[in-house]
This record gives sequence, C-alpha cells and structure tokens, in this order.
Amino acid sequence: MIKRQNTLKLLMVWICLLLGQSVYSQSDYTGKRRVTGTYAITNATIITSPGKTIDHGTIIIKDGLFEKIGTNAKIPVDAQIIPGDSLMIYPGFIDALGEQGVSAPEEAQKPEGMDPSNPPNDVAGITPELQVLDYWDVNDHNVQEWRKNGFTISQIAPKGLMLPGKTALVVFGHEKSSNYLLSETGLFAQFKTPRGLYPGTTLGLMAKWRELYKNAKLRQEHGKMFTTEGNGLARPQNDPSLEAFYPVINQEIPVIFKTKNELEIRRALRLQNELGFELVLAGIEEGSNLTDEIKAANAAVILSLDLPDPKASKAALEEATAEAKKSQERVVAAYNEVLMQAANFEKAGITFAFSTQDAKSADFMKNLNLMISNGLSEEAALAALTINAAELLGISRYAGSIAEGNLANLVITTDKLGLEETKIKYVFADGYLFEYEEDHSKINMAKAKALVGTWNYESKTPGGTSKGNIKFEISDKELQGEILVDDPEGSGQVSRKLKDIHFDGKELSFTFSIMVREEKLIVHTKGIVKENEFEGDFSIKDKGKYSITASKVPELEF
Amino acid sequence: MMKFRYILLFGLLLVAHGLSAQSPKGSVLIKNATVLTVTQGTLENTDVLVEDGLIKKIGQGLSVPKGVESIDASGKFLMPGIIDAHSHLALDVVNEATAPITAQVSMADVVNPFDVGIYRALAGGTTIAHGLHGSANAIGGQSITMKYRYGTSDPEGLFMKEAPRTIKFALGENPTRVHGRGKNLQPRTRMGVEAVIRNGFEEAIQYKKKWETYNAAKDKKNSTVTPPEYNLKLETLSDILDGEIIIHCHSYRADEIYMLINVCRDFGVDKLVFTHVNEGFKVAPELAKYTMGASVFSDWWAYKFEVYYSTAYNAAILMENDVITSINSDSNELIRHLYHEAAKTQRYGGLSDEQALSLITINPAKQLGIDQYVGSIEEGKQADLVIFDQHPLSVYAKPQMTFVDGIKYFDINEDVDDQRLKVSPTQMVEPVYLQAEDERCMHGVELFTEEAANFTHTH
Repeated sequence: MIKRQNTLKLLMVWICLLLGQSVYSQSDYTGKRRVTGTYAITNATIITSPGKTIDHGTIIIKDGLFEKIGTNAKIPVDAQIIPGDSLMIYPGFIDALGEQGVSAPEEAQKPEGMDPSNPPNDVAGITPELQVLDYWDVNDHNVQEWRKNGFTISQIAPKGLMLPGKTALVVFGHEKSSNYLLSETGLFAQFKTPRGLYPGTTLGLMAKWRELYKNAKLRQEHGKMFTTEGNGLARPQNDPSLEAFYPVINQEIPVIFKTKNELEIRRALRLQNELGFELVLAGIEEGSNLTDEIKAANAAVILSLDLPDPKASKAALEEATAEAKKSQERVVAAYNEVLMQAANFEKAGITFAFSTQDAKSADFMKNLNLMISNGLSEEAALAALTINAAELLGISRYAGSIAEGNLANLVITTDKLGLEETKIKYVFADGYLFEYEEDHSKINMAKAKALVGTWNYESKTPGGTSKGNIKFEISDKELQGEILVDDPEGSGQVSRKLKDIHFDGKELSFTFSIMVREEKLIVHTKGIVKENEFEGDFSIKDKGKYSITASKVPELEF
Repeated sequence: MMKFRYILLFGLLLVAHGLSAQSPKGSVLIKNATVLTVTQGTLENTDVLVEDGLIKKIGQGLSVPKGVESIDASGKFLMPGIIDAHSHLALDVVNEATAPITAQVSMADVVNPFDVGIYRALAGGTTIAHGLHGSANAIGGQSITMKYRYGTSDPEGLFMKEAPRTIKFALGENPTRVHGRGKNLQPRTRMGVEAVIRNGFEEAIQYKKKWETYNAAKDKKNSTVTPPEYNLKLETLSDILDGEIIIHCHSYRADEIYMLINVCRDFGVDKLVFTHVNEGFKVAPELAKYTMGASVFSDWWAYKFEVYYSTAYNAAILMENDVITSINSDSNELIRHLYHEAAKTQRYGGLSDEQALSLITINPAKQLGIDQYVGSIEEGKQADLVIFDQHPLSVYAKPQMTFVDGIKYFDINEDVDDQRLKVSPTQMVEPVYLQAEDERCMHGVELFTEEAANFTHTH
C-alpha cells in the first residue's frame, strides 16, 4: 500500500515536471528565463530580525516568498542551492526615503506675460498631485548601485521643489516585473523654492503651505456639500493640487517633510502644529537636540545616510595659531556630533529608519560603520534598515524581517554588519537572486592612495628633455589622473586625461592620447613605483620608446 | 466620545504649552548703582531688586533675599535694556521680493536663534529688537519682536509673546526699483506705491465682506452659500484695518510720509510708525498728530537719491515737536552701540540725557506697543537691564553686564571668547566678519535689481 502510494506520487511528480518542461521550454527560446524560482540557502547564520539569530539555518525561497526557515528545512528538488557556510543572512534593507531610478519631470513652461507674484502652481514647484511611479525606472543604475548595498525596498520620492508629488513604495526586483508595492504612500515636501517667483524663499513657502492647506480643506468641504446637497450650490472647480491634499487632511497619508537641520525641523513642526497633519521628518542630518519636540509631535523619524566631509575636522593645524587650534576643536566636536546623531536618537528612545537621499551609494557601508563606531548599536542600525522602516511604512506584515510568508528580500554578507571587511555577496529582492563577486580587476584603493598627488617627470626624447607633471586623485572611488605634456603642435603644454590606469602597488601603467597632425597617438606608459620615485618609459606604436623618471612632490600641509 | 477626546487634547495642549512657553526668568539684586530710570529721573546709589524676571523694588539699602545673587554696581550706571525698533538680525531670510504685497509672510518663520550677532548685540546693551521684513515690497511681511535670550535653540524662545503684531511697509525707491524697474510691474513710481497700498486695503475690505456674508448665511436652513477662497495676504491686510497690527513703514521723503498718513486716515488706520524718516523734520507736526512716531538714523544719508535732503538734527527736531522718536540700527554692527547713536543727538540738537536715552529705550518700546512691559526701570516692569562702567552717553562707556528677564546674558569679565552656539562640521575656519554687513533691508533682491550691485547702501 505504502509502496503504491509512493509510486503514484513519483509518477505524478514526473508528469508534472514533464508538463512544466514542455510548457516553459517551448516558450523560452531566449534562454533568459531563470531555471528556477526556488532557492535554498543552507547552513548560514540567519538574523531573522534584530537580535534574533538562527545558527546553521536554512532558508527556502519559493516564488518570491520565504517558504521555510529553520535548522532542518527540507530542500525541494527544484531548488538552486546556495551554500551559506560562514555567511550571514540579514533581512533585505529598506530605504525609508530614496530616489533611486526617479527622473525629474520636465520643467513646466512659463505662460507668456506671467505675473511672477502669482505663477501657476506647476511653475512654482507645487505639484502635489504628481505620482512618482510615473517617473520611475527599475533599470536605472542607481537602483542597481543601492541593491548592491543590500537595499531591496525603497519609498521613492519625486523630484522637484516645495511640493514635488506623492511618494510610492517599490521593490528592487527583476527588470521585467512591475515592482510596485504601494502608490501614494505620502505627500513629499521640502524647503526648496523657485528663483524669482512666489514663493521664492522660506518666508513665502511657509505662507503658501498654510494657504494651500486651508484652501484644500475648504474645497473638500465644498465638494462634500455639492455631492450630498447639490441643488442650488455652485459647482466646485477642479484643482488637482488642492485635491492632492485630501488624503493628508483625512489622515490617510502623512506629509514626508525633508528636514535636514534643526531649523527646518522646527519649521516643519510649526506647520504641523498649526495644521494638524501626520508628519514624517526625513533626511535628518542634524536633529538629535530635538528629540523631546519630535516625541511631543509624534513625528516619525528618517535619518540621512549622508555624513559630512571629514576634511575640515581632520585638517592639519600643527603650525597654526593657538586660537585657530581652539576653534578647530569645535569643528571636530561638531563633526563627531553628526556621527553620533543616530546613537543619540537611539539613546533618546526614538525609533528611526534611514534615507538614502543625498547619500552616495559608495559610502553606504563606510557611513553605517562610522555610526556604529560612534555609539549606534548594531541592533538599532539593523532595525533602522529593516523592521523600523517596515513599520514606519506600514508593511511589517510582509517585509522587514525573515519570516515564513514574507517577501523574499535578503542580504547575504561575508561577515557581521559593522565590520570594515564585511562584503555583500548576494542580495535577494522580490525572490530574485543578485550575485556580487568581488571585482579583482579593480585597483586596490588602499595601495592607489600612495599615488595621489602631483608627480614631476622628465623624459628624454630625440628632440631634447621634456618636462611636465602627472596628477593622480581618487574621485568617485576611482583612481583618476591627468598628465601635462608639451604640445606637439605648438608652444606650451596641454593636459591629457589618463586612461586604463593599472597599479598593483609596484607596477604602474596607463595610457593617454595626443594629437599630432590630426592623428591620434596613444602613448603607453609603464614602469615601477618605489616610494616617491617612478622609473619607466613612454612608448608609441611604431614610433619608439623614451625613458621617463618622475618623483612625487611632497604634500604641503597647512 | 469625540467631545471627550477634544477636551483631552485641549488639556494636553495646555500642558505642552505650559512646558514650552516658559522662557527662563531670573532674580538678582543690583546694588549702589546710578540708576537711569529714563521715565522717573536718575537715582544715585540705588538698589534694584529683580525677582522672577520682574523689577520688584527700587530703593536704597534693600536686603538680599535668600538665594538671590547680589551685584555691587558702585560707581556704575544701570539703564534699561536698549530696544532697537528696526533690525534684520537673526533672520534667515529678509525679503520675499517676489510680489509688491507679501503681507502673508511672517518673519517669525525664519528666526535663527544661532546667530552669534545676538550675543554681540547683547554685548552692546541691546535686549530687544524688532526683526523686520526688508523694504523690497510696498507691503512686506509681518515682523517679530524678539527678546535676545541668547542660548536657546528654539526660535520661539526669542519671541516676545506680549508684543502686538507688526508689519513692514516700504515707500519710494526700493519697491519701485524692485518691482517697477526690475520686473515692469506696479509700482513703478511713488504714485504706484500709493495705488498698490490703497488697492490692497480695498481688496481686503471686499474679502472680509465675502467671509462675513458666508459666515452669516452658512448655518441658515437651505443655505446655498459655499466657502470663499482663503487668502492669507488679505486676512492680514484686513487685520491691519481692524487695528490689530502696527505698521512700521520704511520712508524717506516728506511727501511720501504725508501720503501714507493720508492713506491710513482714509482707511481709519492709526497704528502707524515711520522708520528711517530722513525728511521727517519737514512734517514733524503731522507725525506728532497722526502717528505712533518716527524711528530714525542718527546721521546716515546720501547713499541714494531720495536720502540727500537729510540732517543729523532730525531726531532732535522731531523730539522737540513731540513726535515719539527712536533711533534704530538697521544694521548688525550699529546694533552693538546704539548708545553712541543716541549720544549724537546731544551734539546735534542738544537733547538732555533723559531725552537722548529715551530714543533707545521707552520710545521704541512705545512704537512696538510694549512700553507697559519694558523700556524703563520701574517697579513691575520686566527686568531687561544693562550695567555700564560710565554714563552710557559718554564715548568711553562700555556695557559690563546685560540682563533679560533678570537673567544675565552678557558679562564682559566672565564670558568666554567663543560664544557661537553652532559650528559647522565642514568649515575649516568660520568666516569672522570684523566689519559686520552694513544693512540687510534689501537683502535677497539682487535678482530683481540690475543696479543693486552698484549700491552698497540701500536702506
């Protein structure tokens, strides 16, 4: 009996597989369709939510959801297996306010003879009716960059001025999926005004806000009267901008106010206090002095992942006056205060999420680590990136933690978050796997730093000795350079950009081009760097080879 | 249920209000000073007792209450905190120069309590300043009267809550340059300025009527009225017509001053102060009869055409003609030595000590509608006080300590050098202006005035 049942089962599975295969294999002539939507990540350390860990656990993902999580989950036959030994698995990160893949709407045309004191709403940057989803593209490189950092869901904000439109919630899934989770999640507002038109400053912005809000209330009231009583009442005029405020007035969605500093936070709180909307304070770079006020206003908090440039706080002042040194101490203190902001919010007992707006994707891990080394607990950092964000966005029922039935969004790392050497190896978003191999072709940045600066060179050519300099800098996480060479077509020198720079700590090579009689010549440079000296040669195909020596100009510190 | 929730909410709001609205108040006994009361003469060797922010007692040989600090001011002079009726200090924005009338905007929205200029003003004995909108528009924004309680990070901590509402008007070259020549809008001439103001008031009357009609009819049975559009600009103008807001009007020429007096008389507005008023001496009797006074510079003129006909005797002439007169700074630098500015009226016009001091104390207080609280040393008034080492009208005088509501905010001997409340984490060395920016009346209007670059003085 038992045996027969098993045989029957097998037969059915076999038939199913056959059927499945015939259906799929015939339609997928491109070969792009993934082999399976089922994954098993085995024997990993799973942090299902901040503070909750499963050791040697297995996660089964099926059709975009977590199917099974545990230490003895059975692996389905069709699963792609990812050995998770020594890896850490975190819930996919959630960006509580971002703009990855969002393009700016076309600039509104100014009507002829427009009165600058009373411009049309769209010209003045007032388009609360606009939906960010109409301007979103999942294939944008910024989506890819942030996904690479572990972000799987983002509340995206529209681009524009004081009232750019409504936010929406998207998942960074497959390029062919729709990837929308929720539209109209909030009304986005910021302290940005047009030039030369009303409202042209924060003064006008605050007044305009009050006026729009009160008129929206009156308009809604009028509309209700018209639909319930109708007869004899003037028909309300359509006004998309005012109508866009209705869900805010009805407390269905919050105002997401971008408030970078204390004074902007105060101003947003002032408006909230007068008008009574639900408030999310977003992109905060400086606000931990206001925790009491924020609590009293019951406002939600989204901190910026951007951190200030440390240059001023790290300036070398050995030879400066005592007064300048003392003044510098305050700059350092101010810088440290910013790094401690997240920790201070945690200490004050305010839960918060993070925003990627204005932050560079390349700095994400570094900035997160800086916050952690300045007092933010690892748990709070993870919570801000996952469960807190999910709760703030009202999606914690299906996102923000690793639980059966939740959306299959994961970050798989080589080590614990907060460690400098930790790398992200895989990201699952919407059940799709994205794999990140370490890029070996890239230059080792730690070593490349030794090159940064100005190098004076000398080259012996048949025409005499030629002199110039080469400048290296690290910009956008890449080693870049420029060379100053004698202009072959006249007097003076020209600056050329370096290409294909390779440096392994010892051997340095790069190319640049020069134009000689409308012919582009590529100069290959290759040599050995020993501390602050370089020896090598220039070579031009079919033209010859000339030796070059260069030495680094000592950096002046002041 | 709903009602209950409202009551609860109201209760909570009251509590919250009580928590946030309390500005710090102090107690102190200042002993043996020469007290320049301004309104009640000079009292030698006199003690002033401050309790909980108010002047409790003025007399000799007062005993120190328990726990109250006592300061020996023997040989020193005590005067009321200096009040500046025209300043743009500690404001993030000065001009919303995009429209000829911007009565809807409020300087209270852009107060910056971190401005170190506040401390510098305190170091010059200034305790109250009237933060005004600039002079780009015929009718500018609503102003904010601030008590310089330096150290708070809350803009509202600087607000003088007792002060009545005020608003900026501007006549003459500035509004006509910005809107007329800059944007080809009305006003292009002085006639245009008058028309803009009159039209504004007329519109406000119609607006108010619309709302009155609606409010009267909306609850009637079978009413078919629908709510009119809300307009914050016209709301504010109609509050001016209702006498709830004091106008402070930027002006220079006698003809335009008299013009606005007539406009206000036509609309029944009597809460009117003129500021700058360089030709005020020509219409002194009219200013005395119809206005709340004139707030002038001691000796600034000739920085543009409309200010050529001026005199350093202006303040003295106005004073002798019974105009409530004050001397203002309109400058982050002048606000640090208004006592020198007041002293100039003794050289030009021979005013008495008391008259000269009233120019920077009780008179600006009257112009701001706060003279029942501040502006002189009297029992019951708020304890805004300055101790000088010499008579404040002496060129050698230096403020020693400055108090607001009985709390010491400046002490020449004890304060540390660096008084900045906020430091940028990304600026290597903060720019320190030895010479503070002269004035900010036309700040933020460069966009509209091609010749703005040629003018450094555009008050």
